Amino acid sequence: MDFDLFSVVQRSIMDPQSTGEVLRTLLTVAWLLPLCGFVAEIYWLRWSHRLSKSAAYSAVACIGIGFLCSASALVYWGVQTNWQALQATEHGEHGEHAEHEHAEHEHAELHQPADAAKAEAAAHAVDKHEHQQAAVGEEHPHEGNHAVAPKFYSGSFYKLAQFGSLIVSLDWYIDSLTLVMFTMVTFIATCIHLFAIGYMKDELTEEYEDHQVHTSHGHFTRPGRFHRFFAYLSLFCFSMLGLVLAGNIFQVFIFWELVGISSYLLIGFYIERKSASTAANKAFIMNRVGDFGFLIGLMILWTWCGTFQFADVGAEPGLFTMIRGDNGNGVMDVSEDGQQVFLHDTHGHRLETDGKPSSIGYLLLIAAGCGIFAGCIGKSAQFPLQTWLPDAMEGPTPVSALVHSATMVAAGVYLAARFYPVFTPEVLLVIAYIGCITLFVAATIALVATDIKRVLAYSTISQLGYMMLAIGVAGWGAGLFHLVTHAFFKSLMFLCSGSVIAGCHHVQEMPQMGGLRRKMPITAYTMLVGVIAISGLALPIVNIGFSGFYSKDAIVASALAYSNANSVHMLLFVTPLVTAGITAFYMFRLWFLTFYGEPRDQHVYDHCHESPLVMTGPLMALSVLAATCAWSWCLTSGSGEEGPLYRLISFSATVPADAAITSVGPAHVTLPSHHDVHDVHGQAGVLALLAAVAGSVFAYLMYGVRIINPADIRRQFPGTYDFLVDKWRFDVLYDAMFVRPVHIVSAWCAGFDKKVLDGILHASASITMVVSRWDRLFDENMVDGLVNMVGNVTRSIGYSLRVVQTGRLRQYVMWIAVGVVVLFGVLFTSMPR
Amino acid sequence: MFSSEFLLGAIVFLPALWAIPLIWFDGQNKDSMRYWTVLGTSLTFVLTLQLWASFDLAQGGMQHSFSKPWIPGWNVNYALGVDGISLPLVVLTGLVTVLAALASWSIDKHVKGYMMLFLLLETGMMGVFLSLDFFLFYVFWEVMLLPMYFLIGIWGGPRREYAAIKFFLYTLAGGVLMLIAMLMFYFYGGKTFDLQELARIAAGQSSTARFSETMQLTAFIMLFIGFAIKLPSFPFHTWLPDAHVEAPTPISMILAGVLLKMGGYGIIRIAMPLCPYGAQYAAYFMVALGVFSIIYGAFAAMAQTDFKRLVAYSSVSHMGYVLLGLAVWKITDGKTTGGEYWNMGISAAMFQMIAHGISSTGMFFMVGVLYDRVHHRDLNKFGGIAQLMPEYSGLAAVIFFAGLGLPGLCGFIGEIFTVLACWNFSPLLAIIAAAGVILTAGYILWTMQRVYLGPEYKGPHPEAITPFTAREKSVAYTLVVFAVLLGVFPNLLFSRMDNSVTKLVQSMSRTYDTHHGAGATVQTTQVR
Repeated sequence: MDFDLFSVVQRSIMDPQSTGEVLRTLLTVAWLLPLCGFVAEIYWLRWSHRLSKSAAYSAVACIGIGFLCSASALVYWGVQTNWQALQATEHGEHGEHAEHEHAEHEHAELHQPADAAKAEAAAHAVDKHEHQQAAVGEEHPHEGNHAVAPKFYSGSFYKLAQFGSLIVSLDWYIDSLTLVMFTMVTFIATCIHLFAIGYMKDELTEEYEDHQVHTSHGHFTRPGRFHRFFAYLSLFCFSMLGLVLAGNIFQVFIFWELVGISSYLLIGFYIERKSASTAANKAFIMNRVGDFGFLIGLMILWTWCGTFQFADVGAEPGLFTMIRGDNGNGVMDVSEDGQQVFLHDTHGHRLETDGKPSSIGYLLLIAAGCGIFAGCIGKSAQFPLQTWLPDAMEGPTPVSALVHSATMVAAGVYLAARFYPVFTPEVLLVIAYIGCITLFVAATIALVATDIKRVLAYSTISQLGYMMLAIGVAGWGAGLFHLVTHAFFKSLMFLCSGSVIAGCHHVQEMPQMGGLRRKMPITAYTMLVGVIAISGLALPIVNIGFSGFYSKDAIVASALAYSNANSVHMLLFVTPLVTAGITAFYMFRLWFLTFYGEPRDQHVYDHCHESPLVMTGPLMALSVLAATCAWSWCLTSGSGEEGPLYRLISFSATVPADAAITSVGPAHVTLPSHHDVHDVHGQAGVLALLAAVAGSVFAYLMYGVRIINPADIRRQFPGTYDFLVDKWRFDVLYDAMFVRPVHIVSAWCAGFDKKVLDGILHASASITMVVSRWDRLFDENMVDGLVNMVGNVTRSIGYSLRVVQTGRLRQYVMWIAVGVVVLFGVLFTSMPR
Repeated sequence: MFSSEFLLGAIVFLPALWAIPLIWFDGQNKDSMRYWTVLGTSLTFVLTLQLWASFDLAQGGMQHSFSKPWIPGWNVNYALGVDGISLPLVVLTGLVTVLAALASWSIDKHVKGYMMLFLLLETGMMGVFLSLDFFLFYVFWEVMLLPMYFLIGIWGGPRREYAAIKFFLYTLAGGVLMLIAMLMFYFYGGKTFDLQELARIAAGQSSTARFSETMQLTAFIMLFIGFAIKLPSFPFHTWLPDAHVEAPTPISMILAGVLLKMGGYGIIRIAMPLCPYGAQYAAYFMVALGVFSIIYGAFAAMAQTDFKRLVAYSSVSHMGYVLLGLAVWKITDGKTTGGEYWNMGISAAMFQMIAHGISSTGMFFMVGVLYDRVHHRDLNKFGGIAQLMPEYSGLAAVIFFAGLGLPGLCGFIGEIFTVLACWNFSPLLAIIAAAGVILTAGYILWTMQRVYLGPEYKGPHPEAITPFTAREKSVAYTLVVFAVLLGVFPNLLFSRMDNSVTKLVQSMSRTYDTHHGAGATVQTTQVR
């Protein structure tokens, strides 16, 4: 395939090391700028005033420059690699070729001659650990037209700690996925920052009156917190980009928690609202429940592999190399009995300790994978930890758009994808089922939700479930593809809902809306783009649709291939297919309820207005991308999985899927190959499209032309309806299962201290007191009696001896002399001779 | 720049000497005495920084060490020295004392006596961390105890006598056990109190003396109880909440920031090297106790309604990580396995002590700032503080997040690394310990919600809530800076501890392998 735009001259591949350095520099700037922004903005009132919008401009500038850096890094990388990522016609063809040919040379030639001395020095003092020279994956040692671009670049920032040979450091790992994520995140963040300037303008005041909060003095007023909002946004951007740039799993965990705390701050932005602060706490604590699993995964890997690194550092193998080996077929090196997975060094040989091959137990590896994935469950609001995300909608809408739909919650999917080489097929099966349950549960709740933001929140959970499912059924590229497309259309829809909410003066209930398309056309039609995209509608036969169509298609195809290979797991295909219909239904329901028909609340309708350009501008920009990001940019190639976006992402795939892999572990599943997926693609596409069309049509009948009355259906299934409105009663369940027991146990602990431990102490103190009282009586009567008696005797002796004390010197001398003689006598008789 | 004798001697005795001129200060001029104390503690802190700067990272042994006869008849020496294990604690003590002195403006009663005791206390603390002689260590341990008793008993809250006596008796009981153990070592070890010599004997490197296994075990149990009281570990912890609740703010800061560390320091400096066999024998018990303290402390903290009591229980929980990290010494077939993970555990436990010294000091200070204004600590009668004191609340949030173990702040590194090191020792205990992160997040966030968030302040004296003063800000910002610095560049500490901890780990595992390991192990050790 020919990309005229980029491959004008077949250039030789530039020195990968310097390419890596340039990429690292660009992305580091993009990453750290928001941190500087945060520090400046949090103290903004020191050098500006409350009514100034300058804090927002600072934040926009930081993230905007970050976008430019990321985008130029992407382009630079593309130019340096001759855009090889886009040219691959058959998946993994080049990569495989390169691997076989050059696996042997890779690390021997990694260091330039000039670095040889440095490398030797490093060998002597490994603890220096200054591997500033970038490690480069799959590097081709020769230059020339047939050179294969490195798959990734990696290196280290600085060391956090070292214990013997165990090293923890801050690293970077850049591949096409990193670059795509950076560009996507910074672009969406820039749009949302701009939107927020308009959305948050209420905060530009000395006296912000919050109608949702009541104090003992009536309404609550406070100074506006415009600058603080942007400070938190900047902190979030820093954390999120750090997460994407991270070069080891521990670093991911660090930024994982940091995005968590940014999310906490943003959800609880209205700190005076009890509901907001409770939702913030809930989000953080539920994430911590997931992180508990994450931590267990970290512990296992740390203990058995002794490293957190993704990539190899010099001759030290990283996790991916260790677990996957270097055999190029993506199969783990499992022992005969299926109990152990052998670890590998950078040359593809088995690692050895004390002459025995190092290995990690297969079950332990499953546990580690599930542990890490538990973190993803928390962050991506998957079943059973999904309940925090709808509550997180307490935050301002731009936050929901950025943090709780496009970026942070997708970080769970990102991590699952990044860590894919470490997951065994059994872990993937768990991932698939969790995703499958989530996408269905969330979609059903979205059917009955009436708050516009909550519908979107549940739809986010459901879509994240799709992505997880895709990764679980070995549709690695499909899952990430959907991550990016979803980020565009979901952030678009959230911003649209924000525009609606701002336009309707903070009304969020859809039953009070209706007909708004006449008042706010830009919002309504950009929203429609998003709705079509997420529903996966497309023109049949020519197969042209908006981005979501392609990515959902890819997922359903992967799921179908998987369920063909493992007929037991049929549900993994049926559920997403059915849910595709449900998705189309509730999304169109949302659009019709909000924008279509006649106004249901005249008051809201009358005061409603279209948002200013600073808000609608980002909507239009995002809607363009939501529609087209999956398209091919030239007519010679197809869209979707042949489009550049998918190609870019799948270039990063670390585990080749050229052939189906059957697990040797307890689950006995078979992961389909690319060809299997390709074969069923058309079939899956038709089915998915049918489901989407059915859902949309049904929504149109119910909420568009209102031929079917939704209230009738509601009346027919009252139990189901209440069950769905109660969100499957997870909150009640968790409250009874966890929250209350924790409070009871904590009361026990505190009581144990007070009653038992201090009780023992006080009892022993009382006993001591009693004993000492007896002691005193004893002392006063017996001991003192005795002593007094002795005293009296002594005194009487003294009196009687007084006669001796005469005051005459001669007499004294005589007594002394007698005494000395007696003493000597005693000494001489008693001393041993 | 200075001779070792002068530098270490000055760090230890400058505060006590600095207290003497206070006798002639005008008792009415309280500020002058306060500034005098701040100056004295600051000078000491500068000296500790000098020690930090002159510390040689490459060495694992004692530095600046010297020994002079003190009571020659009993072979007691005035021996001081510093290594990677004590250095961070010495600097922490210097820092916390300065900050506590700055927080002492709220003391208005008998300022002269307070300041003198305060300075004497610092001498005791520094002496404990720098002593290389067991007897000297014991003396400083007791020297520190008395001023603390009076500081709580005179300047404390309503139940101060109870709390002071409780604190005193607990610590004294530990001290007596330590005394017995000390005498055991003295008589079994050829009449010496020299800690390094005793450690050599314990390591079996002495031809004249040897500590039997029973003796090591007995001594270890006594030492461990003594230090566990100080740490404090379940079930010896109930003095802590009372002492904290009654102690004035600066004394709480010192108590949490420094005094608790003496427990951990005692275990790592005395109990473990002097009784390697006992340490190994009790390892599982210690780790289990540490894990239990983590969980128990967190649960108990959640049930508190007194702000200071809650922070005190969080100390119990956080110090559990120290015990956990110190003891993850795994032996398989009579041979130490995964020594690097144990090394990591000890380093992380050390780090956790420093981190807790920062975060807990900060938390007590933040509570004190509020208490100085509204004179109550009932968690249910706060709320809305963030509206009234935004800068204070922001800084308090950072400090509380440090306690919660948020990455980028100091608490994270200590907690996570100890837990990571634990799996090698016992997966089950590691999993339970890891569950602590959920509980910690729970009680800290819930507390912050009740105190700082919400629309309005619900308690008494709303008019007394005045903005953060410059003096308070300086304390808060210093702590925040250290919390961030250690959280972002933990290697600042780890690199200094590394060689000393490695040396300790190697020596102890060698001892165990040689004496108690399988025969084959002994041979390989000899061949090496």
